[in-house]
Amino acid sequence: MKISRQPILEALLLIAAAAALGFGYTFVTKQGFFSKENPALSASAANLEMITLEKAKEFYESREALFIDSRHDFEYKMGHIHGSISIALNEFDTHRSQLGDIPKDKILIVYCDGIECNSSLELAMKLMELRYVNVKIFFGGWQEWKTHNYPVDYQ
Amino acid sequence: MKSVLTNPILMFLVRISLGGIFVISSLDKLADPGAFTMSILNYKIVGTLLATTTATILPSLELLCGLSLILGLYPRTSTLLITLMLIVFTVFVISALLRGLDISCGCFSQDPDVNKIGYSKILENIGMILMGVWLICVNNYGIALIRFFPQKNNIPGDLKK
Repeated sequence: MKISRQPILEALLLIAAAAALGFGYTFVTKQGFFSKENPALSASAANLEMITLEKAKEFYESREALFIDSRHDFEYKMGHIHGSISIALNEFDTHRSQLGDIPKDKILIVYCDGIECNSSLELAMKLMELRYVNVKIFFGGWQEWKTHNYPVDYQ
Repeated sequence: MKSVLTNPILMFLVRISLGGIFVISSLDKLADPGAFTMSILNYKIVGTLLATTTATILPSLELLCGLSLILGLYPRTSTLLITLMLIVFTVFVISALLRGLDISCGCFSQDPDVNKIGYSKILENIGMILMGVWLICVNNYGIALIRFFPQKNNIPGDLKK
């Protein structure tokens, strides 16, 4: 059976054109690969580990990690992961004293509202600058934790 | 029945619909590749690098295949690619549902609260896959720009006449 090469060539042409268009467009608009604000890429570049809900729950149950809420104070008071502390990104300088005597190798899990917010990433980077070496980001954040009815506190 | 299934006007309408859906679905992804990257990561199947690469290329591929299908340029190849994409999307949705993920599908909007995945999404995709398979099998795309391009082989169905 002879297979025509034309559809394969056409498919390759479409894929190559899509790649050229995609990379060209994101380069010109400074998005995706070429964005400095792509949270996933920034976290990857900073060697910050992004953890899933399951992993976050494991850390919670083993009590190995300290959860840090990077949202505004009022959001924290309306509900947060049980046992977490609040270090609102917008008031980092006044809240950082809460880090107190926490060892630099302690596992810190930073979260914000959910997948759409960036404050957990920015706070995690600030913590890295303070030489905390085990900083992780729980990108699912408060929304994912709450949706699964995991332990929460209201204050 | 066979004449209905191979009716050139019907095939043309199916082609325009499928192509139009892909063009529309590409627009929101093109507008915000960062949000689309996060939508892909939400499925927890691929890593950051592959998700970002996919978010860079996939919207353009959807746009080109959609336009190609609407204009009738390489209709069979673009239908094949669209059908393959739909099969992959459906596998992602089924996998996410089986793992109990409550996420937005990221298909037409990157808003995390819009268009959540569910069994209706699978049925919707299966419907489009059937449209694609139908076009490929009948190999008749109605009015197509391809007739204005020199072709040695592979001129779809009725366009040879």
